Amino acid sequence: MHLTQELELFPDHCVTQMLFKEVKNAAELRQSAVEGKLNGALINPTMLVCDFQVLVAANKAVHLQKTGKMKTRSLYSEIIFNLSPTNNISEAFKRFGISDGDDAVMVVLVHNKDESQPLSDIAAKVDGLQVPVEDMSSLSDTAKIKKLYKVTPQEEKCGTLLDAVVCRMATKDVM
Amino acid sequence: EVNTAQESSMAVPEFLSKAELLKQGAEARVYRAQFLGKPTIVKERFPKRYRHPVLDEKLTHRRTVQEVRSILRCRRAGISAPVIYFVDYNSHCIFLEEIVGSSTVRDHIASTQWSESCKEQKLEQLAEHVGQILAKMHDEDVIHGDLTTSNMLLRRGPKDVASDIVLIDFGLSYISALPEDKGVDLYVLEKAFLSTHPNTEELFEKLLKSYAASSRKSSAVIKKLDEVRLRGRKRSMVG
Ligand SMILES: Nc1ncnc2c1ncn2[C@@H]1O[C@H](COP(=O)(O)O)[C@@H](O)[C@H]1O
Repeated sequence: MHLTQELELFPDHCVTQMLFKEVKNAAELRQSAVEGKLNGALINPTMLVCDFQVLVAANKAVHLQKTGKMKTRSLYSEIIFNLSPTNNISEAFKRFGISDGDDAVMVVLVHNKDESQPLSDIAAKVDGLQVPVEDMSSLSDTAKIKKLYKVTPQEEKCGTLLDAVVCRMATKDVM
Repeated sequence: EVNTAQESSMAVPEFLSKAELLKQGAEARVYRAQFLGKPTIVKERFPKRYRHPVLDEKLTHRRTVQEVRSILRCRRAGISAPVIYFVDYNSHCIFLEEIVGSSTVRDHIASTQWSESCKEQKLEQLAEHVGQILAKMHDEDVIHGDLTTSNMLLRRGPKDVASDIVLIDFGLSYISALPEDKGVDLYVLEKAFLSTHPNTEELFEKLLKSYAASSRKSSAVIKKLDEVRLRGRKRSMVG
């Protein structure tokens, strides 16, 4: 169900994505994350095109953490910030973080290769139904994504929506 | 904190030490590797020892930023260029989509010249296509800076669909609206084109015709190209 990918640049680190639907306790989860009791990024899956988008954000977050150049206070908030096409932190949380009434949540964890405990710990905290990560594409709000990332119609002729989104995320610091 | 920062700055160099080196250039090395599970090209700009370190760092940073900006600007306008996955401004590395199974326009022209029937028609189509893309790029005020047929890849699409041309290597690119800069960009291509592909003067004329027909602002650019050609010839006559 979940998806785990090693970060080739940081071979000790893995990124795990877990998708939940029919979530009843989004407000509580968000509160735990804010208080630092839940070690994971809680993402609104309607703003995600594909798991690769999350990997790009997570890799960049680990890189910036290691080089002491994070723009936010924690690795997990940095992942959410990196998803956003702009440098406005509160806007990033509003768009890409979860809101109290949400019923779908993508949980993203960064952990050591041989650590699996954090996965089950977090899964236990979510009151919802875990579904395969691939289901995220059926939750994506592509119209909203195109608008937020300012994807042009011409651009979609030379690549996919994911390509456009990833390019914006990777280059936003110099735009 | 200091320790982790030092440790981290080694992550990319360590990763590259295990990657496949494709090209060692004067300014950069190009590698192939797997990154976030995808086939990836990494372009690494390295320090130039003869330059002052502070100046060198500034120039290298600026080139990396310009490359990234030009690629994004092209893609936004519908001009194919590799997707950017990640940029490390410490080691000056750009991680790009590998155009898997592509060939350079250079190799394609060379092999077509040697082969089959109706090659004239095929080459003309290709030249016209390149002209259109460059016109679009210049209309966006992107100056490539190093146009050659090696810096254009043919992405092999499904059969019967015109294969897509992908522009690469924006390392010397910049943004300018000046017809002079665009004219010089075309002049660089002309020089490279005619020396790489002998007896293609007519083919290159087709490319320019197509450029002129597709660009909104081509007449001033072609005028500048003629001026630059004249200057080039005068210079070579003087020696
Ligand atoms: N994005 C790419 N996809 C596939 N091959 C590439 C890519 N970028 C560069 N190459 C190959 O690497 C060579 C050197 O790259 P460059 O220095 O950017 O011109 C090119 O001639 C291509 O054969």
